[in-house]
Amino acid sequence: MNETISRLEEVTYDDAIVRKFLLACMVFAGVAFAAGLLAALQLAFFPLNMELPWLTFGRLRPLHTNAAIFAFAGNAIFAGIYHSTQRLLKTRMYSDRLSAIHFWGWQLIIVAAAISLPLGFSQGKEYAELEWPIDIAITLIWVIFAVNFFGTLAIRREKHMYVALWFYIATIVTVAVLHIVNSIEIPWSYMNSYPVWAGVQDALVQWWYGHNAVAFFLTTPFLGLMYYYLPKAANRPVYSYRLSIIHFWGLVFIYIWAGPHHLLYTSLPEWAQTLGMIFSIMLWAPSWGGMINGLLTLRGAWHLLRTDPIIKFMVAALTFYGMATFEGPLLSIKSVSAIGHYTDWIVGHVHAGALGWNGFLSFAMIYYLVPKLWKTKLYSDRLANVHFWLGFLGIVLYYVSMVAAGITQGLMWKAIGPEGQLVYPDFVETVVRIVPLYWARALGGAFFLGGFMVMCYNVYRTIAASTEVSNETVRVRNTRYSSAGEGHRALEGMVTVFSVLSLIAILVGSVIEIYPTLSLHSYIAKTANIDPYSPLEIAGRDIYIREGCYVCHSQQIRPMVSEVLRYGSPSTMEESIYDHPFQWGSKRTGPDLARVGKKYPDLWHFRHMVDPRSVVEKSIMPSYSWLVKDKTDFLSLRKKVSVLRNLGVPYSPEQVAQADRLAEEQAKSVAQAIHDQGGPEGLERREIVALIAYLQALGQKEKQPRPTDQVTVKE
Amino acid sequence: MEDHEYDGIQELDNPLPNWWLLTFLGTIIFAYLYYLHYESGSGPTINQELKADLAVIEAAKAKRGTKSDSEEELQKLLASAAVLNEGKAVFQGKCAACHGADLQGVIGPDLTDDYWLHGQGKLADIATIVRKGVVEKGMPPWDGQLKDAEVSAVTVYIVSKRGSHPANSKGPQGEKIVSN
Repeated sequence: MNETISRLEEVTYDDAIVRKFLLACMVFAGVAFAAGLLAALQLAFFPLNMELPWLTFGRLRPLHTNAAIFAFAGNAIFAGIYHSTQRLLKTRMYSDRLSAIHFWGWQLIIVAAAISLPLGFSQGKEYAELEWPIDIAITLIWVIFAVNFFGTLAIRREKHMYVALWFYIATIVTVAVLHIVNSIEIPWSYMNSYPVWAGVQDALVQWWYGHNAVAFFLTTPFLGLMYYYLPKAANRPVYSYRLSIIHFWGLVFIYIWAGPHHLLYTSLPEWAQTLGMIFSIMLWAPSWGGMINGLLTLRGAWHLLRTDPIIKFMVAALTFYGMATFEGPLLSIKSVSAIGHYTDWIVGHVHAGALGWNGFLSFAMIYYLVPKLWKTKLYSDRLANVHFWLGFLGIVLYYVSMVAAGITQGLMWKAIGPEGQLVYPDFVETVVRIVPLYWARALGGAFFLGGFMVMCYNVYRTIAASTEVSNETVRVRNTRYSSAGEGHRALEGMVTVFSVLSLIAILVGSVIEIYPTLSLHSYIAKTANIDPYSPLEIAGRDIYIREGCYVCHSQQIRPMVSEVLRYGSPSTMEESIYDHPFQWGSKRTGPDLARVGKKYPDLWHFRHMVDPRSVVEKSIMPSYSWLVKDKTDFLSLRKKVSVLRNLGVPYSPEQVAQADRLAEEQAKSVAQAIHDQGGPEGLERREIVALIAYLQALGQKEKQPRPTDQVTVKE
Repeated sequence: MEDHEYDGIQELDNPLPNWWLLTFLGTIIFAYLYYLHYESGSGPTINQELKADLAVIEAAKAKRGTKSDSEEELQKLLASAAVLNEGKAVFQGKCAACHGADLQGVIGPDLTDDYWLHGQGKLADIATIVRKGVVEKGMPPWDGQLKDAEVSAVTVYIVSKRGSHPANSKGPQGEKIVSN
């Protein structure tokens, strides 16, 4: 190789920004873990919902997931990217000002989320709950991050991009596409909006987003971090350059297709379900490519596993990554999904990835970075080991209890006796059975949190002992103009081409999978035999979304005998066609609600919302007593209905103009019914009446109602 | 060893492990065949599978037969303490949420008085309502959930409580049936 000989140049890296992201990561990790532990305890012991609206499980769970993904993992990614990119490219970041805007903007977004989610501002789409002003802020800050990152690539002193940078590029490009497409929404107030997508469309877009948030926020950036910090920490060469190439492109191309495995056995067209399943299976090897390239890099350095806590965390992280990416394809097989979907098995699976892979890799990175950034030694290796074992034990306890709970409950739901009847017809029986496992899970979470607190102390003591904090200055040789090389090697020198190819790789699957369903929707709309929700039901639906009911209740009856016996005819695509957003759900902590309408009297719902135990003795559902006190927002209904009409829901101009009056009329009759059945008087302006109207409308919107005792199955 | 290094990180260029390559190829071949079989071949659709499974349930139901609730047979059960105990258990588990632990009526009506909204308050009437429900009034059908013996038991239990005058009765609803 004929390298152009050049002088050594001096570079001072911006390490201050890395320190900031790192500390933010630790602060929000604490918040995310504590929220998770409280949520886990609420499932084991419902009184911990404390009848506080802002702390109830339905609002706490989105806070926990958003904090874990965007605040904890997000800040960890940024810390690692800002630290490693500068060194891999032998240059300071493109702009310190953009770095600062990125940092403070992102923290501001997190604070906005931490305030708005407990207040109930939610889009009702998992991991995309944040409302439109925050969505716009995320887009802006992400663009700033991208400009800063690609600007740094433009001023690099290294011709070629190391594999870690490929993964960063894929992350930045794909997250932008996912976030923008999934967040297209029309506001109806300064903090509320409806997504333009509805029903099956929205389901497909949401899970294309949701799954690839896992792929491109929790996988590719962390693989990038792994590729930098593992060889650095172990001081060993990476095992295989060509494996990096194959598994990178395989992963990026295949991952994007896998979203529909979240929608197996739903009313999503079957070909799309099958595509989602087979691409998930093909994803197994590319995922493991990252794991084996990491683990085999340690050949000749395995003794470090005994002595170096950083290596210990990394090896465990890669092992959990391998486990989760084997389990993922497994769960995507239709017949396995039939048992696992809607159960805690999925929750266990996710946490093997989140706690094991993202958590442990971040911890490894923190233990690696803190002594370097604060120019000192780690206060205590022994405490780091204590952290490792507490965390490890916590994850194992969490995972085992959740898989056991999931399989137990999944099989109980499906059990049918010789007489053709459900063996466990009462849903709550299947809940009571797994409550002990909820306690075990919470204990696992407590161990994990305990370990984290040990780390906080260790890091605090390390930083406290630091006497000097400065930015690292090094002398580097500029190789920007060395020979390009051939094949993939040449591509690694071409940032724009590489980024465009990554974009194309993720767009192929996205377009092929999503586009037909989007166009299908306009076709169904013409033939749909469905009435839209009445204005009062819309008000109720917004309360349903605000309280996060979708977190524990699905609205999607799968075409399986056990579901048909328990809930009625399978859900159809038409039934949710006017649902902006769709509310199919992904977890059944309580029963499915797709056909709950007219199943119970209004008074039953009233008593159930105020105190679930008064009608279902062993229920673990929180009490929603504030719905009896709080008043329905009738005034905004005209605006809401008008936005929905613009989105294609067939309301007449009169319905828009009279929305609030129509709602008040219907509220009177529902309130009267509650009173007639023996409930209290004067509820017509209360939120509970709107919610009951909505619940009673579920599954009741077909213009020609189906006979309740008859199951209809389409060919 | 590749001739490049980044911030001290070097790369080897080991061949792809064979087992890994074979796994990758295997999943691709499986994916292709699976899609072919289920989406354009002879594989059943999800709804076809459901229909087949539902036929099995229907057959089981047919074998079970439709139980006709005869007044005389139910009358005989009234004397059995075991049946009454079973009926009580079923009632407390499934019915008490709406009718009250003492059958006094909460969401649904009082079941101990002489007033009936549906049927004549006879054993066979009650058993039919337990089975079929009164869906428009919010009484769910229990046919798919309770076994025949459980329906009988809970019916007998309800009738055994006739005239028990529980505290906090919801009050009479429906028509008074004089003789029973």
